[in-house]
Amino acid sequence: MATHHEITESLKAFQEGYNNNKKLKIMNRDWNRIILIEATDVDSKHTIILQDGEISITEGISKTPNLVVTSDSETLADLFYGDITPTEPYMNGTLVLKGSEDDIVRLDFISLMIWGE
Amino acid sequence: MKRVVSVSLGTSRRDHKVIVELLGEQFEISRIGMDGDFDRALAKLRELDGQVDAIGLGGIDVYVYAGNKRYAFDDGLKMMEAVKTTPVVDGSGLKNTLERETVKYLLKETDLIKKGTRVLMVSAVDRFGMAEAFVEAECDITFGDLIFAAGIPYPIKTLEELEEIAQKILPEMTKLPFHMLYPTGKKQEARDDEKTKKFAKYYQEAEIIAGDFHFIKRYLPDELDGQIIITNTTTADDIEYLKGKGISKIVTTTPVFEGRSFGTNVIEGVLVALLGKRWEDISTEEYLDLLGKLQFKPRIIELMS
Repeated sequence: MATHHEITESLKAFQEGYNNNKKLKIMNRDWNRIILIEATDVDSKHTIILQDGEISITEGISKTPNLVVTSDSETLADLFYGDITPTEPYMNGTLVLKGSEDDIVRLDFISLMIWGE
Repeated sequence: MKRVVSVSLGTSRRDHKVIVELLGEQFEISRIGMDGDFDRALAKLRELDGQVDAIGLGGIDVYVYAGNKRYAFDDGLKMMEAVKTTPVVDGSGLKNTLERETVKYLLKETDLIKKGTRVLMVSAVDRFGMAEAFVEAECDITFGDLIFAAGIPYPIKTLEELEEIAQKILPEMTKLPFHMLYPTGKKQEARDDEKTKKFAKYYQEAEIIAGDFHFIKRYLPDELDGQIIITNTTTADDIEYLKGKGISKIVTTTPVFEGRSFGTNVIEGVLVALLGKRWEDISTEEYLDLLGKLQFKPRIIELMS
């Protein structure tokens, strides 16, 4: 089980990976989204805000989300640290994404562009 | 008579059957749409296995390519593995030969393609042979893979960048359900108006729009300005639909039987049945040799007089 702090740190690593990828910022200039990251086994919520290609992360819920990402704390931390890809936990139901199919593909894409081989 | 059947995840409204003679052999070629129902497609494949001479998988790619790397869609593999006896193909072998040759033919025999021609390939990883041929022809090419499959307005301009992005995302993206990345079933009958509006400029800036017809149709703007479309899998109704959209010509890469150009999976099925070999054992040279004997040439349809 990961702690809220560990999820926060993993999201900071994700944010850093995103910010280091200039191409990704260009690709996401049109994708303004509020993404809620919620753990099922610990009290942990974070909000990712994508606006004009820039990413910011806050603890807790700050706005109504377009996309909700729910999983156990360990999976969330592993995911945002890039230790695992989102596809497998998404396909086996460990990771639940609530939102439009296009947004799910987009989030998967961002993660792979940051952490993909 | 040899029987070749294409089992497609696409709409059943496009079902068709023809009888043709090729190299002295009678063929019954048919296409059965499963309306996006994956389980029904698997059942149909199992039912046809051992009963026909070749099976084509339509409305889905099994293999896509970028550079010398091949990526396989899990859903495509599941369909392929449902067939144990009959040779089964997804059209990727033919895309790598016939469609590459189509670009070379147009370059040599027509004035439709020149150095610097602006080409939009709606998706290149499913037609990497064609993509390479356009690059060899020194066209100004935009690969729309991210735009149309993932909704990301980022035009890829070089094969190197396509390969780099493919290497990062395709090993995982190919594990997603295929319908998340490609229009299947009823989505093939409807236009995505929001994305059509958003991405219209890529169509309008191009002189040639090439690639998968379902992608092309799903995002086709109402008005173009003399563009040429290079594709296949078009029906007579599709040709009617495209008239009045400002498109000057359609070039179909596969031969037209009874007003319809079948998908590459169907034609590859025919080639496999003619060669009488397993798909894995057929070389590019054998396909090219057979295509030469069949004298398949691109068909150019004028839409504006």
